Order: sequence, then C-alpha cells, then structure tokens
Amino acid sequence: MSKPARIVTGDGRTHIASNLMRESLVDRRVVKKTDSDQEFAIMPDVTLVGLGGHSIFDRGKEALLPLAAELADVMTKHKMVIGVGGGTRVRHTISIALDLGLPTGGIAQLVGAMEEANAVFLNALLAKHGSIVMQREHFWELPLYLTSGMLPIVISTPPYHFWEPPPEDGPLPTHGSDFGLFIHAEVLGMQRIIFVKDEDGLYTRDPKKHADAKLIRRTTLAALLADMPEETIVDRQLFTAWRTARHIREVQIVNGLERGQLARALAGEDVGTVIVKEARDA
Amino acid sequence: MLKSVPPAPHEAPARRVIESTLAGTPLTSGAYETQFTYDPVALMPDVKVLKMGGQSIMDRGRAALFPILDELVAAKDKHKLLLCCGGGTRARHIYAVASELELPTGLLAALGGYVPRQNARMLQMLLANHGGLFMLHDDFEKLPLYFRLGCIPIMTGMPPFGYWEKPTEGGRIPAHRTDAGVFLSAEVLGAKRAIFIKDEDGLFTDDPKKNPSATHIPKIGARELLQRDLGDLVLERIVIEYLQRARFCHELQIVNGMKRGQVTAALEGEDVGSIIYKDT
Repeated sequence: MSKPARIVTGDGRTHIASNLMRESLVDRRVVKKTDSDQEFAIMPDVTLVGLGGHSIFDRGKEALLPLAAELADVMTKHKMVIGVGGGTRVRHTISIALDLGLPTGGIAQLVGAMEEANAVFLNALLAKHGSIVMQREHFWELPLYLTSGMLPIVISTPPYHFWEPPPEDGPLPTHGSDFGLFIHAEVLGMQRIIFVKDEDGLYTRDPKKHADAKLIRRTTLAALLADMPEETIVDRQLFTAWRTARHIREVQIVNGLERGQLARALAGEDVGTVIVKEARDA
Repeated sequence: MLKSVPPAPHEAPARRVIESTLAGTPLTSGAYETQFTYDPVALMPDVKVLKMGGQSIMDRGRAALFPILDELVAAKDKHKLLLCCGGGTRARHIYAVASELELPTGLLAALGGYVPRQNARMLQMLLANHGGLFMLHDDFEKLPLYFRLGCIPIMTGMPPFGYWEKPTEGGRIPAHRTDAGVFLSAEVLGAKRAIFIKDEDGLFTDDPKKNPSATHIPKIGARELLQRDLGDLVLERIVIEYLQRARFCHELQIVNGMKRGQVTAALEGEDVGSIIYKDT
C-alpha cells in the first residue's frame, strides 16, 4: 500500500493494485488480512445517551420535563449525543403491519418515523438550550455541534429499512433503536453508551411481570451472553453486535424516573446496571 | 421554567399506551409469533432482481458489458427488471486503504457504497435511451411507477446500512455488500429468485480460475453449501445464511454473462448457471 496506485490488466478485468486486488472478499483468509487489534477511534470522548420511548416518552410530561431539565444541565459538562426510542406508536405500527401481512423489510421501513417524532418533541423542549436534530447520517457535522456546545439529537433506528435481514425467529425486525444507537456510538469510536429507561437497570426477568426479578448491578458481556434473560430491557441485537465491537467498553442502564441518575452515570458513577466488555472477552 | 418533580419509583407516571396486540411488550423477545397469525403479502413477486457483477463484469469494460445490456434491452418489455450493481476493484482499493488506516467497518461500508453507485450511474447512461433510470434507496417505493412507464430502474446493490454496518468478526470488510443488498431487495419485493450475473458458469467445487479440474455444481441447497465449510464462496456468506430463513426469495441463480443467451434464459426461468436454494 505504500507504493502509488497502479492499474493492472491482462486477465480481461481492469484492477487497481492493492492488497485486496483480485481477491475474493468472501474468502476468510482475505477477510482476516484486514483484521487488527487496534482500530482508529473517531470521536472517543463522546458519550451516547439513549432515551427510552416506551419507558420515558410514553409517560408524558411528568417523566419528560424533569429529564429535559437534567439534560439541559449535563450537556454543559459532557460531550454527548442523544437518541430516542419510539415507544407505543412503534408497537401499534408493528401490530397493524403484521395484521396486514407486510414483509419484515416493509415493517422496518415504517417504524423509524415514530421515533423521529419523539426526536422532534425532545428538540422542541431543548432547543433553547442548544439542541439540534442531526439528519440521518450527517456524522461529519458532529464536531461542529459538539465544539460549539450543542446537544445533537440523532435518529436511532438504523437505516436498514426495506433491506432488514430475515429475523431468526418471527417476522419482527430485530435491528431496532437500541441497536442503532449502539452502532452509532461504536462506529464513531465512543467508549460508553447510557440507556435511560424506567427501571433501575437490567433484571434477571421482566420486573413488571415477576416480583422475584433481581437487579443485575454489574456484569460482563461474556456473562450476559452465557445467561441471557428471556426478556431484556434493550434489543438483543445490541449484545450480538457488541461481541464483535472494537470500542464500546461499557453499556449502562439507568432509571430516568429518578432524578440525578443520568447525571451521576455521566460523571462516572456505577448507578443502575453497568455491563462491561473486557478486552477481547466474549 | 421546567418543574422538577422527583417521583418515587412506586408512583412512576403512567404510560399512555395505544391498545394493540403488542402494547406493553418490550419487543426484545423473539417469541411473539404465537400471539397472532402472520400471513405475509408478496409486494411485487414478478420483478426480476438482477445484479451486474462489479469485478466480474463492470471491470471488464465494454467487451463484457455491451452484449449483456443488449440482452436486457431485448427482455425489458417482457419482464420488470430491477438492475442492481456490484462494486469491483475500486471498492477493493477503498477497503484496502481503510483497513490500513484501521478505520471501522461501518466507515468501510459507507465508503464502499460509493463505487456500486458509480457503476449504477454508468449503466444508467448506457441504458438511458431504453428507459434506464438511476434510483436511490429512498426511491424504492416508486418502483411501480418506473415499471408502468416501461423503465429499467438501476440502483446500487449495497444495502443502505452504511455506517450502521455491524463490526465484522476477525476482519473489517463489511459482511453485507452488494450480494446481500440484491438478495434483500428480492426478499422484500416477494420475488422468488435473485439473479447474479458473473463471469463464471456459477458454483464450482473450487475456484475455476485457479484450479482447472474444478467441476460445476448446477444446484445445491444452502444448508449443504454451508456445511461444506468452504474457505471461499461464490456469493457473500451472509446471503447463504439469510436464504435459509427467507420467506420469499428461495433461490439464488448465478449465471455467466460472458456466454450469450444465459441472462435471457435466466429471465425466462430456465435453470442455467448454478442455483442455490433454500432447503425445506
């Protein structure tokens, strides 16, 4: 790669010389050549914060306004990016779409709009403090927003849309907003992501249905993958993707209905549930 | 002035929920199918989704490409053609540069997407006179219009995942590239078959460019193909995995665009080239 690019012909095809020239990108040995223990971190000192749709937004003013006040305060102290979930309107969309028999990709195409509505709601509440809704993949505007002290609100549903892969079981799209935010943080080389929900963290079972559910205070990704709760408070795809991720070291789940939990988490305290990925664990 | 009311957890503000079969569910468990009947609709099952190979066809230039375009033009009034494009050597160059810089997979996927888009634009220029129309992912819902007008819509084969592509295990080349996008386009349209135009007769027991004694495999199940655990495959590995759980697109056909008439035969539903099918 240190030599200047060169054009190679002779087999009927025209090639540009590179260490992947003529190679099958499906060949495992070729893919392996592109691996490394290092990966350049694009924006390592930014934290991504995800606000639950069902858990926070659907609870309305009483849940949202205190959290907005907290965000207006913490945004002056931390470089952060906010994403939001869609909540009950997403569930209603999917339920109608399933009844109509829309294909999985068709359902995936629809749901993002409900989350965008929540992003606009949040932006309306925080605009006077300097929030801005970032367009779908305008990542390269983030340095401008962050160095000028603004709070970018990003689209959380990943743009898989009509091209949502066939799920392993059932017709529901699996690449939801938690997964989308995770990848967003990972591709930019962030180390932490904080999910703000309506429970104190991750439980062994759904605490809304089972009185004997136990809160998991601190765990590792490897331990969680080995013993995954049947219903989790964040998308399962997130944990699958985290396995092969290079940057995210910590996923924290905090209770947004308790004042100050988000601020404490941003300050580095172990509130809620902290899931860590040890170096090359899992 | 925002009022800060600290509610105790036991008196959390109530959720306002729209009644539906999924109301109140976390959507993170896979076990929902038992709660309702799901009878999926095929959106446009008669569309022929085709991929023009990047390295195998586009990088060969005019000599390889023009005869294939002649076949497509001849077939376009009989079939609805959705033409998707592969990347090729420029995409490989981008992946190589980005790998050396140790940039993340999502960035490779976003940048790798530029090349098949260029190729799609080249095809549009060449087919403009016959109704060739360049389209973006966001134009997908306009396909019925394009077909009604007798056009040949042309788009990138890459799915729109871009920066949201998952990190690749043991490497950084994106797992979803143009084969995946073509398969997923066929799947969402409800098309039974996706057709991949390459410069070989399809699937062989070994790379026929390197091993002349490699023999042709006309038909093979996805499960059997994966069980062979070949180091290399004719299509992206993830497509063969997805094929096994597809609801509509149950066959991947690989044809040789260098042989006159193979593309036409494939459009007529003939089993030329190789077919990888979903095992039942």
